[in-house]
Amino acid sequence: MNRIKLIRVKLLASAINAERLVKRYITHLRKGIFKREKKIVEALKEVSFDVRYGEIMGLLGPNGAGKTTTVKILSTLLIPDGGRAIVAGYDVLEEPEKVRENIGVTLSVEKGFFWKLTGRENLKYFGMLKGLKGKELDKRVNQLLKELGLEELEASDKLCEEYSLGMKARLALSRALLTDPPVVILDEPTLGLDPPSARTIRTLLIDMAKTRGKGVLVTTHNMFEAELICDRVAIINEGVIVAIGTVPELKRYVSGKVSIEVVAGGLDLGHDPDLSKLGFTRDEVVGTIDTEEGRLRVKILCSPGEEEDMIAEVIRRIGAAGGKVHRVDILEPSLEDVFIALTSKREVGSHGKLD
Amino acid sequence: MANWTDVFRAQLFSSIAWYKNNRFMFFSMFVWPYIMVGMIYALGTIYGDIEQYTLQMGISNPALYLFASSVVAMSSLFIVDAVAGFTLWNRWLGTLPYIILSPVKTSVILIVAGLPDSLISPVITMLGIVPAVIYYEGIIGAAKTLLVLLIIFLGMLPMLGFASLFASLLLVLKEESNILSSLSPFILLASGVFYPIEILPRILQAVSEVVPTRYVIDASKLVSTYLLPEARPLLLIIYAIAILGGVYNLLALSAIGRAERRVKKVGAI
Repeated sequence: MNRIKLIRVKLLASAINAERLVKRYITHLRKGIFKREKKIVEALKEVSFDVRYGEIMGLLGPNGAGKTTTVKILSTLLIPDGGRAIVAGYDVLEEPEKVRENIGVTLSVEKGFFWKLTGRENLKYFGMLKGLKGKELDKRVNQLLKELGLEELEASDKLCEEYSLGMKARLALSRALLTDPPVVILDEPTLGLDPPSARTIRTLLIDMAKTRGKGVLVTTHNMFEAELICDRVAIINEGVIVAIGTVPELKRYVSGKVSIEVVAGGLDLGHDPDLSKLGFTRDEVVGTIDTEEGRLRVKILCSPGEEEDMIAEVIRRIGAAGGKVHRVDILEPSLEDVFIALTSKREVGSHGKLD
Repeated sequence: MANWTDVFRAQLFSSIAWYKNNRFMFFSMFVWPYIMVGMIYALGTIYGDIEQYTLQMGISNPALYLFASSVVAMSSLFIVDAVAGFTLWNRWLGTLPYIILSPVKTSVILIVAGLPDSLISPVITMLGIVPAVIYYEGIIGAAKTLLVLLIIFLGMLPMLGFASLFASLLLVLKEESNILSSLSPFILLASGVFYPIEILPRILQAVSEVVPTRYVIDASKLVSTYLLPEARPLLLIIYAIAILGGVYNLLALSAIGRAERRVKKVGAI
């Protein structure tokens, strides 16, 4: 009995508790006009994590890693094939209406509004759907329009079709906060935003968690943002959580290693360069960027004390391949390094073809 | 906790706001019933003159019948669009997930959400057609058209269930617009708006028995034929509408529940 109570208390203390979530999709590959081949894609393979009240948890992963699937399951928009998820103290499968009552969700900042309605009208509509009424609704809508800066931008009574992406993002977040829910789930809330808009959103997210004690789950591609606002980060790759912890904890994955960034030119690499030709191994290379017009920017990991030898080796290899090194920097490992190191199989496979 | 009345209020609010922000569209809705009158008349008289049309349709007052059937036809189109088209339009807009995120049961949302538009549109159509009815048929004609509107509201019950069945199909299938665009002309044909049911192929005659608007059209014929329609045939029509209403709405609730589980399983929202 006490054990059950303890588990209940533990689950209630978590804003989100996902346990061994499994999701499989069936896709059909066209093999002609009438022929289709069935393919099962495992989007989530026993994903477990939790988000506490008062913290921002970042869910990081490459495209197709399972971030949006996770968000949809936690929002009751998708039924998992296995596992269990408790959101705001309610099971997503057993009490989906209760879950929806206690969450605010943003799936995409660009879509999801009635274009021929103003921002205020959109908020009122979605507020009514959540059960808000009369003066309470008007007060909450006015408060959010002011808080998110839409009143200041004179956008509240503009049709949504006239909104910029930044305005839409602010409106999307306002919608998620309409009922002042204890749990907020946001799928890439700052995607494509200009720096001032992104900063406004980030400040609000920090305020939501730290001042108002909400549990916030954010998916993002933006490492800078994750490092800046997230208390903890879970890195998901190919449906598996490959690492979870605070940013300093995650950096220990590549700690004891030195990151060297090399910029070289004059190489005949093409668009999909084979970096193994340059003699790099998968363990060494944590990322490749900017390979256009024979220009290569590559990050290499090596052990402390080996930097000089490694730099000399890289210069030699690039020189042997007909290129010329323009710049070499020794860097502290960033969250991006951790991310790329942990998801390197996919990244290197698709860009660098390393074995 | 939110309930179906919140969904109704929200949808009513958004419809009014939409009309307010799209005034040209709003005023054009008053013209649509006249276009429908022209279409019904053109299709009806394709094989003969107005006398033959009157004989063929079994009516004594063609003008009143044309106006009344235009109101029925437009209302049917609006209901199908409002209920069955709800999932389609909102999926395109990207608003569907946020609507479904309401704490109200998804099946209830999908049935109730089309209701405000289903009520507003027939009233607008009616208001649009009334000046012509008064001009041709006087105040009695207008009163008769009002009676048709009341029957339309009653006929809306099975139409809501009928359209909700299609809404569940649209939720599951991906070629939604094709289904929706083929549904409306089929309903009008099988209802006997353009041609009497008796001259339709047998299969369509059988199908028309379960198309709710068929009974509303029958009622329109009765209303436009007699000064005071006979109570017995009108009552029979009302019974038929009530039975269909019960059957379709029960089927729709079950179908939408299944469709909801399916789309949430395959991730189609």
